[in-house]
Amino acid sequence: MPSTEELQALVAANTWSALLPEILLGVLALALLAVDAFAPRRQPQTLLAAMVGQAAILAWLLFAVFTAEAGEARVYFAGSVVQTALSDWMRIFFVTCSLFTTHLALVYLRNREYPRVEYIHVSLVVTASFMLLVQSGNFLLFFVALETLTIGFYVLVAFARTSRFSLEAGLKYLVMGGFSSGILLFGIALLYGVAGNPLLPATAVDPLNFIELGAFIGAVGIDGANAAHPLVIAGSLLVLTGVLFKVGAVPFQIWVPDVYQGAPTPTTAALAVASKAGGFFVLFILLSGPFLALESLLFPVLAGVTAVTLVFGNIAPLGQQNVKRIMGLSGVAHAGVLLLGMLAAYQVPWAFHAVLFYLLVYAIASFAVFEVMAHLAPDEDADQDISHYRGLLKRHPLLGSALVIGLGSLAGIPPLAGFIAKVLIFVAAFQAGLYTLLAVAILGVVISIYYYFGWMRAAVLRELVDDGESGREPLRVTIPTKVILVALALITVVGGIFQAGLTKLVGLS
Amino acid sequence: MHLPDILLLILLAPLVSAGLIWLFGRRNGHLAATLSVGAAGIIAVASLYLLFAFWDGAVAEDMAIRWVTLGEFSLSLGFSLNMVSATMLFVVGVVGFLIHIFSLGYMADDAGKGRFFGGLSIFMFSMLGMVLSDNLFMIFVFWELVGFSSYMLIGHYMKKGEAAEASKKAFIVNRVGDFGLLIGFIIVFWTFGTTQISELAVAVGAEPELLSTIMGLLLFCGVAGKSAQLPLHVWLPDAMAGPTPISALIHAATMAAAGVFLVARLPFLFTVDALTIIAWIGVITALSSAIWAFAQNDIKKILAYSTLSQLGFMVAGFGFGSLYGGSAAAIEAYGAQAALFGVGAALFHMTTHAFFKALLFLGAGSVIHACHHEQDIYKMGGLLKKMPITGITFAIGVITIAAVPFVASGFFSKDAILYVAKLVNPVAFGLLVGAALLTATYMGRLFVVVFLGKPRSEAAEHAHETSWVMWLPLAVLAFFSVFAGYVKQFPLIPATLHPILYDAVPHPAGSEHTLLIIISAVAATMGLLGAFLFYRKADQIDPLQEKAYPLWVVAKSRFFFDEVYDAYVAKVQQRVAEVLSFLDALLISGLLVRGSAGLVGVFGILARTLHTGNVHSYVWWFFAGLFIFSLYAFGLLGG
Repeated sequence: MPSTEELQALVAANTWSALLPEILLGVLALALLAVDAFAPRRQPQTLLAAMVGQAAILAWLLFAVFTAEAGEARVYFAGSVVQTALSDWMRIFFVTCSLFTTHLALVYLRNREYPRVEYIHVSLVVTASFMLLVQSGNFLLFFVALETLTIGFYVLVAFARTSRFSLEAGLKYLVMGGFSSGILLFGIALLYGVAGNPLLPATAVDPLNFIELGAFIGAVGIDGANAAHPLVIAGSLLVLTGVLFKVGAVPFQIWVPDVYQGAPTPTTAALAVASKAGGFFVLFILLSGPFLALESLLFPVLAGVTAVTLVFGNIAPLGQQNVKRIMGLSGVAHAGVLLLGMLAAYQVPWAFHAVLFYLLVYAIASFAVFEVMAHLAPDEDADQDISHYRGLLKRHPLLGSALVIGLGSLAGIPPLAGFIAKVLIFVAAFQAGLYTLLAVAILGVVISIYYYFGWMRAAVLRELVDDGESGREPLRVTIPTKVILVALALITVVGGIFQAGLTKLVGLS
Repeated sequence: MHLPDILLLILLAPLVSAGLIWLFGRRNGHLAATLSVGAAGIIAVASLYLLFAFWDGAVAEDMAIRWVTLGEFSLSLGFSLNMVSATMLFVVGVVGFLIHIFSLGYMADDAGKGRFFGGLSIFMFSMLGMVLSDNLFMIFVFWELVGFSSYMLIGHYMKKGEAAEASKKAFIVNRVGDFGLLIGFIIVFWTFGTTQISELAVAVGAEPELLSTIMGLLLFCGVAGKSAQLPLHVWLPDAMAGPTPISALIHAATMAAAGVFLVARLPFLFTVDALTIIAWIGVITALSSAIWAFAQNDIKKILAYSTLSQLGFMVAGFGFGSLYGGSAAAIEAYGAQAALFGVGAALFHMTTHAFFKALLFLGAGSVIHACHHEQDIYKMGGLLKKMPITGITFAIGVITIAAVPFVASGFFSKDAILYVAKLVNPVAFGLLVGAALLTATYMGRLFVVVFLGKPRSEAAEHAHETSWVMWLPLAVLAFFSVFAGYVKQFPLIPATLHPILYDAVPHPAGSEHTLLIIISAVAATMGLLGAFLFYRKADQIDPLQEKAYPLWVVAKSRFFFDEVYDAYVAKVQQRVAEVLSFLDALLISGLLVRGSAGLVGVFGILARTLHTGNVHSYVWWFFAGLFIFSLYAFGLLGG
């Protein structure tokens, strides 16, 4: 039993104010439900308040980050919460993603009979969990935050409860996600057990803490290094599996196309952007923290995963007609490029910043594409085909150009920001000497241009075919949407030519 | 105002104008003209203010915007202002503005006015960008943009087959030169590890043994392309198919001089051997184009060959001036100043040439405009009485290019070039004097045939003076042509430029001085007088063709450069292209593109069959991944 003094010290470390943005997001989420329950007629104002509340939290975070002095990591809650400059940046990233997701949800739910406020409620909870996840300093907070957001996603994926596809996707995500969580937890348990073993050198007092676990794995005793202990190897690989599942890396990508297709478009966007970014940041925390000493074990595993992810992710979308599946499968390819950056980060210090830059550019381009998708989606959200995009540039020039710029950036066509993002990662990989993987990645980019072009061609070249189908009525694009689309496209174009602002944002340069 | 702000204003004014013209002025020629001339006015005022009142002559660098940073390597967008770029800024600002004004009159009735003025603005932007760049990377980008705008403007009369052909020719010949230039830049970067010009100068100073002749000659390839030196000169006479203001601005005063500007910007990159070769190319170009000019009857073609010849003088001046400046005797006599002799001689002639050649071209434009687009000089005649202002200003231009002592700026600048040539190589000196004599003669021929005698055609009969927007620039340029040579005595050239346009220009002294004046005077007067006597009675047919046919044929042949190139393209390149086209059809389109598309499509189908939609199989997949992981981890897979 810990003594009273120790408990008091623990309580003193509970600096709740450090987590105020997350708490406020939670409060906002609850308040939305409460207000909607008591004043259902005021729903438009409630939804507006949801946007304004998030924007306020974002503004506050930005203000706090830009006025904060650069310094050491801030540790709270007895090591559970570790805030660094990078994690602060990720919190801003997630709130921004949440704003876009909310806007997408409002567009998506405009003509549909699903509850609105509830969707945003869950989305806010998921956002807060993402923000906690990137600050986690031990496996306890890590797992709790991860589970909270995953459960939130189960709801969001199956949200279109009258759609067969959505329900099926929800079920698949539940089964696969549950499976992966189990594996992750099993890995954590193994690590916990072995790190607490008093017979091994540098036994950890708190084996779930990342720093102590890292010290334990890095220690070398008379019987050999702890890093070679079978339980350490098994545990770390199981944990890694759980994270690779989140980012959609091969061979744990199998759920991606079905879930992306079935989920409502805003959920697909959140999965593609926020979930992927969170996964990569967690991977970074693990690889640069507790698993640092396991480089010789994990590097070949990750290199193999990167190679097959790049190959699979670029080949699978070929010939695909459903744009949501294309986004999902090409997202696997993007995960491959990001993994390449993670590998380069072992050698090249600035490589992880290049990964962050890629995530930022990828998020901007993806949201532009998803905004267009949300506007063109037919009543059955899962049936979004390339053929729906025929003649889009003529039909609605703004949506058309935003789509082309977004896809161009995703494909990495110069002079768009996506090109620079890819170049940065490739340069990092080159400096790290990963020539084979680099060749695979570049080949992948070439192939990726092929399937992105098919989509673009439909929007730009093909004439509008009036086949009397639905979805041919005039597109309703509100002024805020126009502002968002123009802003996203502008950042993508300008970021390709002059990226000092963006690179500074992620700590490059 | 800070210096970078003024430079940014100068650079952005034409870009904004081009953008606005593209957006709103494509159909509205009047608006386009206003925007473009306004931008040129801003450039002129800002650069004159900068050079006369603001800048103190100190080299201004470090005005860079960081663009891309990758670890050690960083790419900046930077301006720099030194003597060389300031001289070019002065020339482009003043001459550019006058030519814009002239274009208002010349292009008044053109259907493609919007396109024309938009092109002019793009050209001004690219030219100024190149002038102000502080690194090779940017210079190359703007260099290509300059080439592109030149291509666009040569082909302005796109319905004429000749113009379209000429623009293609200019583009392709310049690509050949630029390829060499690019390789040269890459070698420079490879050798010295920087593209920043100021850093390059320091690096070369520290390790001069790293320089190589081939590096200098590769850079000169680009120069030969842009400044139309042998053997890449063939595009410039054809480029006369463009509108006359374009010929004046781009193919005489500024862009064609860009090559000279480039060597003046990078004088430290050339070895003695490279300089010797360059100087001789200049001499040969100067002399041969002066010969070719005799067999031309198109007023603009004559001026084009004279431009070639004058550019040859500049290049020769750079080469011989640098060779002399690098010699022990010069360093002893003049100290550090001597190192700038080549740059000074070339830039001084470039400046005076810009004024008098723009004057001549615009005068020719005025004549062509008055004669309803007649360009054959044997269909003109007697125009001095009908267009007195054009005639007199043209006469001033002829006197200037013929380098009549003391009344022509061309005299002072050509004198400096002849002087350094004499010091380095008497043979080259003799050839250049010969070229000067020929210059005076063929320019005399041009003037006599066009402006004296009797009108030889209906059009010339009814010609009359053009409007003030066209003759006013002529008058201003004539004034500059006469007085710009007196750098110190007249305040036409900003005092900040005196160190390069006066102090760094090698001038003979004492008996040498007298001797050179006599030689120049004899060459100029003999040439002009001879032309007057020989061509005075000329009627429909060229007197040279009548009386000395063999000589005329030699001049007309242009030494068969075009024929050789045509034969090469038709016989060799065409065959190679056909073979490549066949291979392309077979291998690239057939096997690679179709084949890979098919192959990849099969992969796509295979990959998709994995996604059966069955949760059970998905779980097994997941398990398989884990299984492979564990196999690897426990040494059962590949160790």
